[in-house]
Amino acid sequence: MNFKALLCLFVLLTFYQGEAQTRAKGLDEKLQQLTDMTAKKSIIPLNLNKFKEYVKSPPRDYSFIVMFTAMAPARRCAICQHVYDEYMIVANSFRFSQAYNNKLFFGMVDFDEGSDVFQMLRLNTAPVIMHFPAKGKPKPADSMDFERAGIHAEAIAKWIQDRTDVQIRVFRPPNYSGAVAFTMLFILVAGFLYLRRNNLEFLYNKQMWAVCAVFFCFAMVSGQMWNQIRGPPFFHRTKNGPVYINGGSHGQFVLESYIVAILNGAVVVGMILMIEAAGGVKNSDPARTQAEGKRRRFQSVVGLVLVCVFFSLLLSVFRAKTQGYPYSFLFK
Amino acid sequence: MPATAVATPGNGHNKGIFHNTTGFSTLITVTVLSLAWLAGFASRLFAVIRFESIIHEFDPWFNYRSTAYMVQHGFYNFLNWFDERAWYPLGRIVGGTVYPGLMLTSGTIHWILHALNIPIHIRDICVFLAPVFSGLTAIATYLLTSELWSRGAGLFAACFIAIVPGYSSRSVAGSYDNEGIAIFALQFTYYLWLKSVKSGSVFWSICTALSYFYMVSAWGGYVFIINLIPLHVFVLLIMGRFSQRLFVSYTVFYIVGLLLSMQIPFVGFQPIRTSEHMAASGVFALLMAIGALKYLHSLNPKGQWKQLLIVGGLLAAAAVFIAVVLLTYMGVIAPWSGRFYSLWDTAYAKIHIPIIASVSEHQPTTWSSFFFDLHVLVCTFPVGLWYCIKNVNDERVFVALYALSAVYFAGVMVRLMLTLTPVVCVLSGIAFSILLDLVLREDEIPAPSVETEESKNLYDKAGKVKKRTHEAAPAADAGLGMNVRSGTLIAFMILLMLFSVHCTWATSNAYSSPSIVLASYGNDGSRRILDDFREAYGWLSQNTADDARIMSWWDYGYQIAGMGNRTTLVDNNTWNNSHIALVGKAMASNESAAYEIMTMLDVDYVLVIFGGAIGYSGDDINKFIWMVRIAEGEHPKDIHEADYFTERGEYRVDSEASKTMLNCLMYKLSYYRYDSGGSPPGYDRTRGALPGNRGFKLTYLEEAYTTEHWLVRIYRVKKPDEFNRPRLPLAKRSISTASTMSKKLPVENGQVTSKRRKGLLKNKPTVVKGKKVRLE
Repeated sequence: MNFKALLCLFVLLTFYQGEAQTRAKGLDEKLQQLTDMTAKKSIIPLNLNKFKEYVKSPPRDYSFIVMFTAMAPARRCAICQHVYDEYMIVANSFRFSQAYNNKLFFGMVDFDEGSDVFQMLRLNTAPVIMHFPAKGKPKPADSMDFERAGIHAEAIAKWIQDRTDVQIRVFRPPNYSGAVAFTMLFILVAGFLYLRRNNLEFLYNKQMWAVCAVFFCFAMVSGQMWNQIRGPPFFHRTKNGPVYINGGSHGQFVLESYIVAILNGAVVVGMILMIEAAGGVKNSDPARTQAEGKRRRFQSVVGLVLVCVFFSLLLSVFRAKTQGYPYSFLFK
Repeated sequence: MPATAVATPGNGHNKGIFHNTTGFSTLITVTVLSLAWLAGFASRLFAVIRFESIIHEFDPWFNYRSTAYMVQHGFYNFLNWFDERAWYPLGRIVGGTVYPGLMLTSGTIHWILHALNIPIHIRDICVFLAPVFSGLTAIATYLLTSELWSRGAGLFAACFIAIVPGYSSRSVAGSYDNEGIAIFALQFTYYLWLKSVKSGSVFWSICTALSYFYMVSAWGGYVFIINLIPLHVFVLLIMGRFSQRLFVSYTVFYIVGLLLSMQIPFVGFQPIRTSEHMAASGVFALLMAIGALKYLHSLNPKGQWKQLLIVGGLLAAAAVFIAVVLLTYMGVIAPWSGRFYSLWDTAYAKIHIPIIASVSEHQPTTWSSFFFDLHVLVCTFPVGLWYCIKNVNDERVFVALYALSAVYFAGVMVRLMLTLTPVVCVLSGIAFSILLDLVLREDEIPAPSVETEESKNLYDKAGKVKKRTHEAAPAADAGLGMNVRSGTLIAFMILLMLFSVHCTWATSNAYSSPSIVLASYGNDGSRRILDDFREAYGWLSQNTADDARIMSWWDYGYQIAGMGNRTTLVDNNTWNNSHIALVGKAMASNESAAYEIMTMLDVDYVLVIFGGAIGYSGDDINKFIWMVRIAEGEHPKDIHEADYFTERGEYRVDSEASKTMLNCLMYKLSYYRYDSGGSPPGYDRTRGALPGNRGFKLTYLEEAYTTEHWLVRIYRVKKPDEFNRPRLPLAKRSISTASTMSKKLPVENGQVTSKRRKGLLKNKPTVVKGKKVRLE
């Protein structure tokens, strides 16, 4: 009896030892393979078998970040490409950073290669970035919320830091497109100037400069900078038809700002017409005939009407946006 | 105020009638300017009339406090003032971290008035300083516009700037801030600069530098001047408008201005060490190089010299540019600071500096706030710009650059509307002046030959009059005609009237609220004053120890120091982000974690602003998400922004809110014992929700004071012995003597043991279990 028990224990122990050995070996092997794969490509492509082997099966002391995506053009997932680019930046930053270790790996499952993985995890959207922690099952917070955090590499890195305590300093490959565009523009302008080097009068054309300056003012005054920074919709669609003017004074639509720019422009044009009709600044009007006078009167009236009507419109739009604004002119 | 607007065009009229003598036009000028001053002063008094003579908002309280300190202790003590009541436990060296121009200005006025035996309190000087300076700004604008165009345009511009909301927003009575005097310094520096470029005299350049010195001492916006003037010089060089006048005026201004600006302790060596100032020195070097080349050219004006000039100029520009870039890389010159960088890369602040992005005046500008601040000027100033560029000369290049850069900055940041407003007034003044001048001038056709010489000096349209003497007969018919002219006049009078009523309305409704005294209006128009802030600060100053430390969000730091005269941890001088983040972390943590931080920081009282009872939207719960963000920036391990939102990413306070949100210190301090706000009791009127966590108790803090409308709530932080010790009912607090002990020992013992057993079970259930197991 006693002997039997001892034997049992011995067998058990051997078995345990053996299993422990295979497990340890498995982990080392897996780590080795994963490191090799990462060395080749910083995001490891996974299919069902690989996914089960490296991500799901237990001997694991490393975290795995996996992106589930559908990159095939037939899937028409526009955002997948963006997320992939950002994800790639994070994976590369990690791989080439000082903090690189074999506690964290990046993988990717494409729907067309591993649709069974999608089924296994009951995923029906893409892209999804999930974190498979070294211990335990993924919690809800282990899949990244793009809506809240955004899809920028910095956001992904921050989320990874939240989940795994691995800090990744995102290193973006420098974006040369801006520099290239600038250089191209510079070369074009320089080339243009060089080609026309005998005829540079146009640079002294005050009219052109004045038009540019005035247009710049219109753009700024109508809030294009706000549009640029805040990215509002072009206009708002509601059940009762499109709305072009934002109701509040703290917001605006893109179309609205164009309308305002045009109203401003009309007032300015009207005023310039009036001034020119009245003789202009330099007053260089040699011949003054009766017909000329008629034309001037007409031009002046047109200018006056432009100024009054469009300024009233502007005031009305402003009044509609500002609660409790009491004043209006011509129109309510 | 319509009076001023009407008075200006009337100016042109009168000239026609009274034959335009110099004395008469001077009289008109003086009258209009003083009326503008008066109108500007009067329109800024709404806050004083409605409330009282009181300092507004946040920063002015610090300025007032340090002015009062300077008046009391003298200038040198002020410069060496170490304020231990701010940024506890760090303190703040005030003299080295403020622009002292504002305090010096009001201190000087105070000194002069007291020397004249006019006993006025320094607070009244502080309250009325900005309105008084608005009149000086009007005069400076008049001078600037007269240099640019004509005196008529100058009068228009002066009237515009006196009442325009874009400027009065920062200069109403009580708004005792740097901007109030800085806009005057800005306009006056520009005027002197144009004067010196025109004349090329050293005198005017020195004056420019002195005025620039005043500007540096007054406001950080001086960087705008030290970049715009070099830009002007640079553009003039590109346009081939180099002249000895330009050379003299810029070099003198640069050197003297540089030396003077470095005398301000807060500025120190920045003018030679930071990128913001490098444009000025780069242009200085370039100007020197071109001056040298020009001199060489003048030695031998023939041959290849011209090409040498161009090539040499380009080479010099490239060399200067590369030198600056290299020095920046080597670290000799500090790169652009975040605040300036965010003007170019508009997404920068949002990502990297939440404390800048959190301030509402750093948001981009919508068209409606342009219109609100400038009204009719917003659609007339391009006309002035148009004519300035069409009839360009050295000065008008300047105003065009001024307009273009300022309109860009104003588009990026609401706050910089302030720098746009003066140039808009100048250009609109020019536009209105051109038009009304032409329209009114043709009245004089029947008697053309009388007024020639004076008008030549005053308006640059004298040629027109001469011409008409020759062809007076056809001119009568070729002009615009009476009807059109009077129509135009009437229309523009209406526009100007609309402008002036708009300005009054905007100043009165939007910019005249002191924000420390709130007013609410009933349905019958009756007014109720909510004076909760001063009530709370008054309570602090009367009922707390003199060295009590008050923790609050940084917005209220200056007010606590100014009105409550107590030590604060953080204030509106946001120089130490990690300290602010620590306070944010305390507010965002649960009570026990917050208590640790508060003990660490020696906090005695916590002050929160809660607007739920009266529907005040600027309270701490609405600002709370910024506290979380700033805290997360410094403590990413402990604070996660996402924890404060619901699953669906909403920011809520009702029962759907996240657990972290419902248990954080800020939430608890806001809603503790809160039962006001209408039906149902405890309803939060600001967020329109019933708070999700109610009826809770506070362990580590106790309510010290809550103001009448629940707006300010002050809590006292308990000492460790206050919450560790179990509370004894009054009956058991008697000291037991020997006799009673012997008598009632069994009973007492029984009670004590029963209590103790309870406590044991509650506190250490595991230990008891272990004992039990072992026993069994």
